[in-house]
Formats: sequence, C-alpha cells, structure tokens
Amino acid sequence: MLIQALNGIVYGGLLYLLAVGLVLIFGLREVVNFAHGALFMIGAYIGFSVAAAGYWWGGLLVSVLAMAIIGCALDATVFRALRKHDHMVTVLVTFGLLLILETVVTTIWGKAYLRYPVPALLSGTIDIAGSPFPIYRLFVIGVSLVVALSLTAWLRFTRIGLYVRAASTDARVTSIQGINVDRLSLIVVGLGTALAGLSGVVAGPLLTLSPTMGNYILIDSFIVVVIGGLGSFAGAFAAALLIGQIHNFGAIYLPWAATILPFLLMVGILIWRPTGLAGSRT
Amino acid sequence: MSTIAQGAVRPAKPRSDFAALAVLLAGAVALLTGFALPWIVPSKLAMSLLAQSLFDALLATSVGVLILQNGRVSFGQAAFSGLGGYAFGVLVARKLVGAEAALLIALLLPTLLAFLLGLVIARVSGVAHAMLTLAVGQAFYEIAFRWRELAKGDDGMSFDLPARIFGISSRSLQDPAIMLVLTWSILVVVLVGLTLFARSRTGMIAAAIRDNEERSRFLGFSTMVPRALVYAIAAFVAAISGVLQATYNGYIAPQMFHWTVSGFALIMAIIGGAKFIVGPAVGAVVLFYIKDFAGQVAEYWPAIVGGALVVVTLTMPQGIVGLARLLWLRRARR
Repeated sequence: MLIQALNGIVYGGLLYLLAVGLVLIFGLREVVNFAHGALFMIGAYIGFSVAAAGYWWGGLLVSVLAMAIIGCALDATVFRALRKHDHMVTVLVTFGLLLILETVVTTIWGKAYLRYPVPALLSGTIDIAGSPFPIYRLFVIGVSLVVALSLTAWLRFTRIGLYVRAASTDARVTSIQGINVDRLSLIVVGLGTALAGLSGVVAGPLLTLSPTMGNYILIDSFIVVVIGGLGSFAGAFAAALLIGQIHNFGAIYLPWAATILPFLLMVGILIWRPTGLAGSRT
Repeated sequence: MSTIAQGAVRPAKPRSDFAALAVLLAGAVALLTGFALPWIVPSKLAMSLLAQSLFDALLATSVGVLILQNGRVSFGQAAFSGLGGYAFGVLVARKLVGAEAALLIALLLPTLLAFLLGLVIARVSGVAHAMLTLAVGQAFYEIAFRWRELAKGDDGMSFDLPARIFGISSRSLQDPAIMLVLTWSILVVVLVGLTLFARSRTGMIAAAIRDNEERSRFLGFSTMVPRALVYAIAAFVAAISGVLQATYNGYIAPQMFHWTVSGFALIMAIIGGAKFIVGPAVGAVVLFYIKDFAGQVAEYWPAIVGGALVVVTLTMPQGIVGLARLLWLRRARR
C-alpha cells in the first residue's frame, strides 16, 4: 500500500515537472506548448547519449543546460513572434514545432526503443515497510520535491519571482511598470524547457526511450494543467499528485479502466468547476 | 476571444430564397462534376489518393463546423470518425446485425454521443476545450488499444463486407472510381447541407451564442441545445468519414482515434480557412497532397508539414480560401 502510494508520487512528480513548465510558459507567453512533450523527449535523448558514454550525471547536466538554451532560442524566435496572436494560433504553431522536433529525433536517434541506464550510485533497492523499493525512485521523488520547493521559494521571495508572478497576471501592465517582460520570459521559458529536460532525464530509466514517449506523458500533463486550473502553480502541484495516485492505484484495482480514469476525472472536474481546481487566470 | 474562432465572420444578411437557390445550384453542378471525375483523373492510384483526401476533407469539415458555428476548437474529432469506423467494422465483422443496420448504428451512435457530450463540454472554452477534447479522443484511443477482444487491440482488424449493402455490390465499394464518386457526392451534399444549416434559424442561433452567450440567453434562447446540436452534426460528418474509410480499407485500427489524426484535421481546417464552410475541405485536399509529395521526397515529411503549418498560420490567418477570396475581391475592384 505504502509502496504503491510512493510509486504514485514518482509519476506525480514527473508530471509536476512537466506541468509546471507548461504553467510557467503559459503564464508569461500565453502559449500552450504542444511541443513540451517533444522537449521532454529530446531532453531524455540528449541525456541518454551522454550517459551511454559513461557520464550519467554529466548527461543530466548537459541535457538540462541544452534544453535551457533551446528554450531561450524558442522564446526569442517563435514565442515572441506569437505574442500578438491568439491562443489557438499558438497551439497550431507549437503543434508544428512538435512535428519538426519529432522528426529531428527520429533522424538522429532512429525509431528503435532504447534503454536508459540507472546510475551506479542509485542502483539497488531499500527496504520500506518490509518491501524492497528502488532507490532510484526515491531519487525521482526527491528531485521533484526539491524543484517544487525551490520554485515556490523563488516565486515567493525573490524580486524576479515577484516580476514573474506580476507578468503572469498581466504582462502589459507589468511592462508599463518598467519591467522588461521579454527578458523575463527568456528566463522563464528557458526554465520551463530545462525542467522538461530534467523530467526527461530522470524519467528515462523508468520508461523506454522512443520518439513517441513524449505524447503519452504530454497528454497526462495537459490533464494536470487543466484540472489544476490553467496558469496555477499550486493547482498543478495538487493535480499532479492526484493524477499520479489515480494512475497507480487505477492500474492495480481497476486495470481495465486505468488508462481512462484521468480523462473521466478531468471531465468530472470540469463539469463541477469549468475553470479547474484553482480557478483560471484567463 | 479567439480570432480564428470568432471575429470577422461576416454579419448575417437577410435571408433570401435566391441565395439558397444559388447554393443548391452550385451543389448540383458540383455533383455532376463528380460523376465525370473517373474520366478526368488519370489512374486508379490517383483516384484512390483523391478518394482518401476526401475522407480527410469530411473529417476536417467536421472540425470546421465546430469552429464556425460554435467557436470551439476541437483536438479530438477523430473520436467520432473512429467510433463510426469501429462501430461499423465490429458490427459487420461479428455479423451482429445486417450491414444496413450496422451503417445506421455507426452513424447515429457518434451523433448521439456527441450531442450528450456537447451539453457538457460546450461550457468549456478556448484552450481548455482543446485539451478536454484531446483527452476525450485519447480515451477512445486507449480503449480501442487495450480492449483486444473488441477488435484485436493494437494490431487492428480486417473484416469482410457482406456481398451487398443497400443492393450495391460491396466489391464495387472498394473500387477507387466508385468510392471517389460516392465520397465526392457525399462531401458535396454535406457542404450544401451545412451551408443551408448555417442559414437556418438554429444555425443562426448557434452563431449568436458563439458571439455572445450571455446576451443570447437574455434574448430568451436556450444556449445548451443549439450548441449540442452543432456538436452532433459535426460528429455525424466525422462518422461518415470513419465509415467510408472502414468500408474502403476493410480494416479498422486504434490509429483512427489517435490525437494526431484530430490534430491534422484541425490543421487542415485552419490551413484551408475555418471561417468558410468549404475551407476545411480545401485545406484537407491540399495538405493531403503536400503530405503525399513530401512523403515521397523524404522520410522527414512531418517536419515539412510542421514547417508549412508554422508559416501558414503566421502569414495567412484566413487560410487558403480566405486568401483566394481576398485576391478575387482585389481583382474585382480593379
């Protein structure tokens, strides 16, 4: 029971890392990033390539940095140009980006399934309540907790965090106050995609690498974002944990319905509260 | 408010029977042209490709109706085409009912389901609506994927058509020339029907709700039913596409439900011009041939399509038909 709950937290943590990136990007740029799953996947592949050479932790670092740079480039070239367009246009453009990125991955790494190794430091299991539990999974929980805490602290207590919250509420008024929203969003989008890369690398050993690995988790993280309320950080955190638990306990107790439970939950919550758990800014 | 979904739709002109007549006349001409197609199109392969692009056109039209009449952008319309195809395929393969009854069920089941869903999901708008429909569509995909007893899950299922459907030999339904004429005729009838619907009382009420729901409610209209009706109509058109595909290929697979199918249908609708009833169909045919061409040239065709999508949405927000109309008006002015 405890073990299952922990497994649910592992998946919830991965979802949180992705969903919070989506929320960050949506808050600043009002862009619903359909390419986020593809960025997650590219992060995993970059990490894999370095890890295959024997540097697992190097892979983590390289992947996160590379994804941050890709994110900044995306913001400067695509998302900035989308500022004046409406939400649905941005959805289509990022869908186009998704197609491009998936093709990039299949041309570089091929379509075969790849196995991401577990680092030597974190292999093995540990006994929790009498049952063995992989240490690596604890590490995943730890990573998402650290990210959640430091992100909250950053947004709450630093000056840039204040600017980010302000710009997420109203980018126009914020720029009238003399804050360079473009520079701010460079940081925020870079952070969002770096988190996607981080999520991809830590998820790598739990999943198998394939050019479609981003699709499944992207849809789950969309569900998280919508359930949590578009643009809400706390909502995304709660919803990610909820979906993680449902994903896991559903697979055990209702295996025939497990894959559609999140969808049903989403439909139910949207009937109850059309703007999601935490309400929506838009 | 979304500029694709709303805004520059032309204000409704007073209804005149003359315009309705013109639409019917244009439809009749298009129908007659359809019967000449097997002689115009050079080869069986070309006919087959054109027929398949018309399946896409029906699905894209379905997405387009939702945008045009409801102002809702769906990322899960493949749920209804897939459901139509699956209902038909499964019922025929298991000989549960006759082929005619299977056809009827395959068309009505998605329609009814969409009506009920429409009562609920029409309340959600914008991006959340896109994600919600994406999730609904993907739920169908998961069911078709996992439920092996239904139709062999991931592998997909081939099935044999009964010898005759409505007295037509079913082998001829898998002949490209006949399928092409049939699909073309259906598409024309659908487009004419949708044009007339948009001009009807219900269609205009739906458009009024799209533009301002609150005000429509103040005027005393029920805002739930007309919107749900548009969902049902859209799903009906999608179901036709699914049934035609299943019939033509004699094969159903979970891929019919996949969200990329819905996504491409949406792309087609936008590229063609979602503010026009014929726009999505035009976009579908154009994109189908771009895909086909790019697929022959290179393995990385999705990147070409993706790049085209980025460029088109940023430079031609009105789509191909919008651009054509603009050029036409400019020439007429000269």
